[in-house]
Amino acid sequence: MKKSDEQLAQEAKALFDASVDELDAATLSRLNRSRHRALEAAHSPRSALLRFAPAAGVAAAVLIAVMVALPGPRQVEVMPAAVADLDILLGEDSIEMLEELEFYSWLDVIDEGDDVG
Amino acid sequence: MNAEAATYAVSLISEPSTGTRALQQETQLNRFLAEVERRALRIAEIGVRNRDDALDLVQDAMIKLVRKYGDRDSAEWAPLFYRILQNGVRDWHRRQAMRNRVMVWFGRGAPGDDEYDAVAAAPDPLGRAPDEEIQNSEAMDGLEVALHALPARQREAFMLRTFEGLDVAGTAVAMGCSQGSVKTHYSRAIHSLRETLEEYGPDGSGDG
Repeated sequence: MKKSDEQLAQEAKALFDASVDELDAATLSRLNRSRHRALEAAHSPRSALLRFAPAAGVAAAVLIAVMVALPGPRQVEVMPAAVADLDILLGEDSIEMLEELEFYSWLDVIDEGDDVG
Repeated sequence: MNAEAATYAVSLISEPSTGTRALQQETQLNRFLAEVERRALRIAEIGVRNRDDALDLVQDAMIKLVRKYGDRDSAEWAPLFYRILQNGVRDWHRRQAMRNRVMVWFGRGAPGDDEYDAVAAAPDPLGRAPDEEIQNSEAMDGLEVALHALPARQREAFMLRTFEGLDVAGTAVAMGCSQGSVKTHYSRAIHSLRETLEEYGPDGSGDG
């Protein structure tokens, strides 16, 4: 005898619910972490700053173009700053900072999708 | 106490502060996400047939919901959340198709369904009798295969209506289509599933 649509849907739902109940502890833990990460992301202050990253990038490009186009002994001044930047980049703190930046950049990227994903 | 001061005092008591409202909203969001996360994971997993990727998709959907729609009425969260998730699943398939084309181009075979081991991916038992668990697991595997054989829109309509329990209107929002389309996709899905599962049997017996 053929099952009704309702009966078929109910059986499928029961199987699905059983598979949900059987999710292992490691998976549930990852879901829990994901949820907390999502709730924390709502408060991330740096994400707002990253919204201006494209504009800042354009501004930096324009600035560099102007500096290159204009004549002057600017290249000499760049060297000490670059060495100082190297010290900062090689520091342990900067690695953590870069990891954070990666995370917030990623958050920003997923925000740039269409309205609902 | 004059009237203005009295009104202000009452408003302080009756209306929660901005901080309190934010806390209430976060509590509500946490409750909502905790309620849907496991079903959402399984729905995404059926869609992409990979648990790790499904976990990533669910996390992305959670973050987008919280950041973009956290201030919406809580009744709107479920359709919006599933719309984000379904878009993520569709994007995942686009990326996979692109990756497969590249792999074929470089002479490496595209990974097929053979790589997915449903038994290995099956969750740990939680106190069920072994026979019952195996029977359920096999039946669920059969159902997943049947669902995966459906066109994506039919699969979405069926899972959102049946597994998540969204109504037609909510499913339409989640799928980004009209309510009429939802009904059509759902109807076709259930007919296709019936044909497939009658051979296999949704109860895993093969005599359905």
